[in-house]
Amino acid sequence: MIRVRACLLIALLTLALPAMADIAIVVKAGSGVGQLTRSDAVNIFMGRYRKLPNGNPALPLDVAALKARFYRALVNKNLAEINAYWARLVFSGEASPPQQVATAAEMRQLVAHNPSAVGYLDSREVGDDLHVVLILNE
Amino acid sequence: MSRLLTLLHTRLALRTTAIILLIVGLLGVAFLLLAVHFRAQSVHREQQARLEGLLTTVERTAQIACFLNGEELAQELADGLLSNDIVHAVRIESLDGKLLVGRGGPIESPSDALFTREISSPFDAETPLCRLIIDPDQRYIDGLVGQASRFVGGALLLQLLGIGFCVVLVVVRYVTRPITGLSQRLRALEAETGQKLQAPRGNRDDEIGQLVNSVNAMIDNLVQSLDAERCLRLEREVEERRYRAIFDNVETGIFEVDDDGAIRVANPAFRRLFKLPAKRDLNRHPIDFATLVDPEGSFGASPTTVVAGGRGQQWEVALGDEEPRRWVSLVLNPLEAGRLQGVAHDVTARKRAADAAEQLAVTDPLTGLGNRRGFDRRLAVMGRHHRLYPDRCHALVLLDFDHFKQINDTHGHHAGDRVLRHVGGELAVLLRQRDYVARLGGDEFVLLLEGCGQRDEVEALLARFVAGLQTPIELESGVAITIGVSIGVALLGVDTEEPQEALLLADRAMYAAKRAGRNTWRFHPTDGNG
Repeated sequence: MIRVRACLLIALLTLALPAMADIAIVVKAGSGVGQLTRSDAVNIFMGRYRKLPNGNPALPLDVAALKARFYRALVNKNLAEINAYWARLVFSGEASPPQQVATAAEMRQLVAHNPSAVGYLDSREVGDDLHVVLILNE
Repeated sequence: MSRLLTLLHTRLALRTTAIILLIVGLLGVAFLLLAVHFRAQSVHREQQARLEGLLTTVERTAQIACFLNGEELAQELADGLLSNDIVHAVRIESLDGKLLVGRGGPIESPSDALFTREISSPFDAETPLCRLIIDPDQRYIDGLVGQASRFVGGALLLQLLGIGFCVVLVVVRYVTRPITGLSQRLRALEAETGQKLQAPRGNRDDEIGQLVNSVNAMIDNLVQSLDAERCLRLEREVEERRYRAIFDNVETGIFEVDDDGAIRVANPAFRRLFKLPAKRDLNRHPIDFATLVDPEGSFGASPTTVVAGGRGQQWEVALGDEEPRRWVSLVLNPLEAGRLQGVAHDVTARKRAADAAEQLAVTDPLTGLGNRRGFDRRLAVMGRHHRLYPDRCHALVLLDFDHFKQINDTHGHHAGDRVLRHVGGELAVLLRQRDYVARLGGDEFVLLLEGCGQRDEVEALLARFVAGLQTPIELESGVAITIGVSIGVALLGVDTEEPQEALLLADRAMYAAKRAGRNTWRFHPTDGNG
C-alpha cells in the first residue's frame, strides 16, 4: 500500500513538472498598455511606479497561489524577503504593497474589470478578456 | 647649569645615564614618530573599516530609499548614520546629481576623504540608482589619532624614565660603587708595606677584578723596586764610606778636575803632596790644575783635552825648584761628562832608585867613569845627534896604557887598580862638561869629545894629558911609577859618518901609535910618522 502511494507520488511529481507553465503579467484587454519590460514590471509591483506606461494609475495585484513563484521569477526573491521589503515601507508610507487577491479567478475578474489593475496568472489560464504584457519564464 | 656640567663631569653614573638617556630619548622620539604615524594610519584604517561597515549596514535600506525615491526613509537612514560620532554629514543624491537628502550640514572634507558608495536597485544589482556620500568627522578622527599618539607617547616616556632609572641604579650599583670603594681603599692602602688591594666581592672575575689585579701587580713591582732601591742605597752608602775611608787615609793623592781644569776635590794625601792647606775649601776656591802641576805649561792644553778620547793618561812631573826635586806620577781618567778623576803618587823614591840603578849600570865601579855599556849608549846618542846635525864633528879618542900588565904582575892588582883610578881622575879633569869618558875594560879608555872637529883642539888636550902622565904615580907601597899611553883618534863627521866605523878607525890609529913607539897619539888616517 505504502509502495503504491509512493509510486503514485513519484508519478504525480513527474507528471506535474511539464504542467508548470510560465507566468503571464496581464492587464485588461484594450486598456491601451502594449508591452511592459521586466524593469517596468519590477517598478510597478515593487511600488516604485504608481502609473502605467499609458498614464493610468497602476494597481498591482498579488494572488496567493502564484505569489511565491511570481516573485521568484520577477526579482529572484522569496516571500520572506518580499514581506521584509514591504514591512520597511509600511511605517514611512512611501509605498504600499500590491493588493492581495485570494484566487486566480478573483484576480481574473478584477483585472478584467479594472483598466488600472495589473495582475499575473499562469499563462495557460489567460482568457480573451485579458492582455498579456510580459511573460516571465521560470 | 655649570653645577650640572660639573656633576656630569665628575659622576660616572650620571654621565653614563645622561648619555644612555639621550640615546634612548633620540631613539624614543624616532620610535614615537614612527609609532604615531603607524597608529594614525591604523586609526584611519579602523575608521574607514567602521565607515564601510556602517555603509554596508545601511546599504539595503538605502537601496530601497533610492528605489522608491523615498525621502523619509532616506532621512531616517541619514539620521541613523549621523548618530555615529564619526559621521559628520550624509548626502544621498541620484546619479544625475539630484539631492535626495542632505543631513549634518555642508560637506567639509576634501573629496578624496569622502566615503561614497554607489547604491543600486534592490532588485537589480546591475543598475545603480544613486550614491550615498558620508563625510567623516575629521575632528573626531584627529581626536582619536591624537589620543592614540598620546597613549603611545606616554608609554614610551614612562619606558624611558624607567630605563633611565634602572640604568642609574645598575651603573651605581655595579660600576660606580665598586670603583669608588676601590678608590677609597687604594687611598688608604700602604703600598710600600706590600699591602694588597682587595677586589670588591662579586667583582673578582670581571674587569674591576682585572683592574685590582693590575694594581696589585703594579704594587708588587713598586715594592720590589723600592726594596732594590733600598738595597742599592745601603750598598752605595757602604761603598761611599769605604771610598771615603780610602780617600781620607790612603797615601795616594786623589783628586777631581772639572771641565775648566780646576781642582774641585782633593784628599789629604794630595794636599800634602802639593802642599795645599788642609782647611782650604776647594769647592769654593778651586785651584787650577795646570798651574799646580805644571807651572811651566809644558803640556800646554787643559787636562780635559789631555784625556780626550775617553782614555786615561799617565805622566810624571817634577815638582819644586829645590834639589832633589820631587817626582809625582799623575793618572787622569774620565769620570763622567765634565769631570776627571786623578790619582797622584809620590814617585820620588822610585825615581831616585831608578836613576841610581841606571847610573850604576853605566858606571865603571873601579874608576867611577862610564863603562862599556855607558859608552855604547853615549855613542849611540852621539850618532843620532850627528845624523841630525851633520855639520858638527866629534872626536873619538881611544887610549891604551903601555905595559900595564907588567904593573899588575910586578906590583899586584891593587897597584894596577890604583893606577887606573889615577889616570881616570886625570882624564875626568881634562874634560868639559859635555864630554864623556869611559873605561872599556882592562887599561883601555875612551873619550868622546863633543863638537870637537879640529885636530889642534884634540892635540892640545892630549898633550896636556900625556904631559900630566910624566908625573910619577905613588903607590901605597911607596914606589912611584910612570906609565905611558898609546892614543888613537878618529873624527866623526870628518873621517867617517858612522860611529862604529869611527871606533874602528880610532882603534886602528891607536895601534898605529903603539907601532910608532908608544906614549904618543895618532889620528886617522895615520899620518906619515904612524
